[in-house]
Amino acid sequence: MTAIKKKKRVSKKSKTAWRKYSDINDVEEFLEDQRLEERLGKFDTKPDEELFVLDTHGDDKPEEKPDVKPEIKPLSAKQRKRALLSETPKCFEVLLPTSKVQDPNAKRNHVKPVGSKPSDLSKITKQRKLVKGVLAKKVEDIKKNKKIVAERRKKIKSIRKTYDKNIWGDDVLEAKSIPETLVDEFISPEAQLHNVPTTKRLRSKPALPKSVVTRKSVEVPHPGVSYNPSFKEHQELLQEVVQHEQKMMKREAHLHRVTTGMFSKVTPKEKENQWREEMSAGLPQPHDPTTDPDSEPSDNEYKAINPPVKNKKKDHKARRKQRERIAERERLKQEKINKKKITDIYKLRKIQSSLANKEKLSAELRSKRATKRAAREATAPPALSARKPPAREPEFVDPEQLTGDLRNLSNTTNLLKERFESLQRRGALAASKIMMKKKRKLKSYFKSGHKVTEKDIERYVNRDVGKK
Amino acid sequence: MVAKKKKKYSSGEGAQFITRKAALKKLQLTLKDFRRICILKGIYPREPRNRKRAQKGAGGIKTLYHTKDIKFLLHEPIIWKLRELKVFQQKIRKARAMREYQKMKKYFRDYPEINIDHIVKERYPTFIDALRDLDDCLTLCFLFSTFPSLKKVPPDQSLLCRRLTVEFMHAVIAAKALRKVFVSVKGYYYQAELEGQTITWIVPHHFSFQPQSKDEVDFKIMSTFVEFYIMMLGFVNFKLYHSLNLVYPPKLTAAFNADADKDLVDERAYVAERIAAMNISVAKIAGANEVEELPEIDIFNTEDTDPQKLEEAKLEAEKVKKLKTMFKGLKFFINREVPREPLVFIIRCFGGEVSWDRDHFVGATFDESDESIAYQIVDRPRMDKQYLSRYYIQPQWVFDSVNARTLLPINKYLMGAVLPPHLSPFVDKTKDQVYIPPEERELNDPNFKPLNEDDASDEDIEEASDEDNEEKEEDSEDAEAVLTKQYQQEVEQDSQSEESEDDIDPQKKKIAKEKKKAMAVTTGVTHKEHPYQKEIEDKQAFRLREKLVRKKHRNLYKSMKAGQEKRKKEIWLLRKKRRLHDEKVKEDKKAKKQKQKMQMLEAASS
Repeated sequence: MTAIKKKKRVSKKSKTAWRKYSDINDVEEFLEDQRLEERLGKFDTKPDEELFVLDTHGDDKPEEKPDVKPEIKPLSAKQRKRALLSETPKCFEVLLPTSKVQDPNAKRNHVKPVGSKPSDLSKITKQRKLVKGVLAKKVEDIKKNKKIVAERRKKIKSIRKTYDKNIWGDDVLEAKSIPETLVDEFISPEAQLHNVPTTKRLRSKPALPKSVVTRKSVEVPHPGVSYNPSFKEHQELLQEVVQHEQKMMKREAHLHRVTTGMFSKVTPKEKENQWREEMSAGLPQPHDPTTDPDSEPSDNEYKAINPPVKNKKKDHKARRKQRERIAERERLKQEKINKKKITDIYKLRKIQSSLANKEKLSAELRSKRATKRAAREATAPPALSARKPPAREPEFVDPEQLTGDLRNLSNTTNLLKERFESLQRRGALAASKIMMKKKRKLKSYFKSGHKVTEKDIERYVNRDVGKK
Repeated sequence: MVAKKKKKYSSGEGAQFITRKAALKKLQLTLKDFRRICILKGIYPREPRNRKRAQKGAGGIKTLYHTKDIKFLLHEPIIWKLRELKVFQQKIRKARAMREYQKMKKYFRDYPEINIDHIVKERYPTFIDALRDLDDCLTLCFLFSTFPSLKKVPPDQSLLCRRLTVEFMHAVIAAKALRKVFVSVKGYYYQAELEGQTITWIVPHHFSFQPQSKDEVDFKIMSTFVEFYIMMLGFVNFKLYHSLNLVYPPKLTAAFNADADKDLVDERAYVAERIAAMNISVAKIAGANEVEELPEIDIFNTEDTDPQKLEEAKLEAEKVKKLKTMFKGLKFFINREVPREPLVFIIRCFGGEVSWDRDHFVGATFDESDESIAYQIVDRPRMDKQYLSRYYIQPQWVFDSVNARTLLPINKYLMGAVLPPHLSPFVDKTKDQVYIPPEERELNDPNFKPLNEDDASDEDIEEASDEDNEEKEEDSEDAEAVLTKQYQQEVEQDSQSEESEDDIDPQKKKIAKEKKKAMAVTTGVTHKEHPYQKEIEDKQAFRLREKLVRKKHRNLYKSMKAGQEKRKKEIWLLRKKRRLHDEKVKEDKKAKKQKQKMQMLEAASS
């Protein structure tokens, strides 16, 4: 019987156990290999000559050849030094990378190469060039080029002001950024649009807001704002202004009523008293005989302010009576309903007409409301921000200021402001408060050494006197 | 698996709108840049139907934008330009802080400019679209053209505004497109008709510049609007000039060249230059003919061939044609106290020639002493030296004539006269069913005969136009009848003469006579239309048509008709009252006169 070698079973339950018993030699070897490869370069990339040597003489020893040196002219010391110049110095070789592993930082900072600093030699050549006039020419060229560039830039800038093209020409397809090759009448528009690259495809802009489109930018003026208005039109305008003003006054009065007017005025003394009263509520007051409740003849019995409610039970008779009362009431109600049912049959036409009337009325009201809402929507300022755009105020000129001729016209309105508000009322701009920059307050003070006091002045004056 | 729960506001109105702050974040722009690009691209804040939902449950009122609008902005190449600008601004700021002014100057020189002409095309795909939206553009450009260089406004902007507005006015002059003028206290309202589009704009009165209070108007925003409008107006001008066969850019006076801008510091000198520039005619393209006059309106068989409407349209066209050449061949001289700019523009629009005092302003074309001047416009009560060969009128005559579309009688506008009111031409013509007293009618309609001149005209006023038409018809009928009579007489004479010539062969004559008898043509009776009969038929047809009004609109129609009747009645009543009153006044006057006469006679006799 062969002894069966018992396989040693090891538990690899925990992480440490797993690490302990699993064999990772092959993995480590592989990794080692890989690192080596990285360091020295891959085998399969290396040329054959580097890896293999062609064996030409087998095992026999090579013959000793007489050492015949080729005729090389020995270099001079200077030449040797020159040759060494291009090589990296020995002292720096340590700094060069030996391994073939690529630099993990692909973008290293640029270090100024050797020779960027002007050397003695380069200085000499530069001097020579300066004398020769090469550099002067270069400078001239640079100047000329700069001028050309500036001119071009200026030209580009001034193009803006020349407007020398018809943008509403017939190059409609180009405007949609369709490639030139496809702008042809034989290609269907669907195909053209299909072939526009997605990045160049124009997103369709949603329609403009209704208020921007429908509301007029330059409103038709009221005939009363003429510089020489007829009396009637001027009066009409005046009426409008009056109505507007009345509305404003009413509103102001309302605001006053619901805010400031809501609080009654009190004298400071009353206020003080009120405060005292409020603050001392619940505190033990000094006994005041006048405020005592009228003393009744007390019978020495305790009496609660709110005596407990007694649950007094009804007896059978009371209950029966109550039941009967309820039933009777119910019966009467039913009777009334039944009676009404019969009479309603005769009232049918009347009911119908009343219903119809009601419906008519409600329809009328509905239509009225709808028209009112539509009218309000057509003119109401759009709510685009927390601030409301200012309401349109009727323009009005005092009749005293109306001279009726162009010579003595006075400036009363601010057209720019009107334009700005018109834009807001049309919904092209959200109404906003212009934030003004606050001026920094500078604190001024005397430097302690430069302070001029009364004493100083006195002394100054006295000095003059003393001189004399 | 349960489907993933839909997040709130990921669809519907909540997803449709985006707050301004979110938009800024999405576009990675500052508020300043965002405002600018929104104005340039024509993107406006929105008002949602349900604000609560649109703001994703947040309270208050936030400025909302359409999400699609913002996505549309994302593709705008200008956004990259704006980011580039930001770098420049930072550099400039830094240079200023470091007091490196040389550098700062260089940065300012190289400051990149944003080209926005593609936006003009994008916002206004057709020329007509651009014209339709020109009101605001023109008003703002005219306004900015009066501004000096301000802190928040780029220096070249007001200059460019000046140039472009003058160019536009030249285009209007060349196209003879001006239709209405209204002088209000705010400024001059002009209305022009270009390519079938009515364009209204305001030109402020010329005052010296008044500084704006800073917290009223955001100059930065307004100047951004103007930045776009300048671009738009430039291209509109280009197109207009080309359609009018004019050379663009026109050679105006030296003040409008970009190089010469620094020479004109004086405001008044500048204004004079501008007006002078308007008084020269622009160059036409070589070999181009005069712009052909529009042919008369062709009548197309459209569905609603309402003869009345057609007639109205024809009349209107006729009037406009007359208006276009109203001042043709007339020479105007403007006194120096009169605002010249509007007058030069208007007079030149209708073909007149203008000049002014050569000593005071540049650009005068003829002297005051020129005998061919027809009108001299003055705004002063009297003048020492007056020429007999011309009329001295006040400027309002020009405005009122344009609005009336004829040359008004000048007696009310003579120098020193108290002017009649300047009425607005923009009143709604549809509200014609109101009583207008004859004095006012006279103002509006120069052809109207005032009623107190002769008694016969009194009754005519009541049924003004209807009767006129009828009369005309009768006249034409009469003329026709006369013509036919004449023709018949001639024919008879001819036949008589023939008879007298060939009485050689009696037999032949007899045969001929018989033949003639067989061939004889009896005189026809002209078909006479009974106007009354026709009226009845028309009325019946109208009633039939009335029946065709849909049930939906029937009530509306009825109420409209009832209203018309009511207003007609009111007018009739007021006119009657007026007539009775006038008659009474007249009789009283007569009686008084007679009484006076009697008294005089008595006094004489006694």
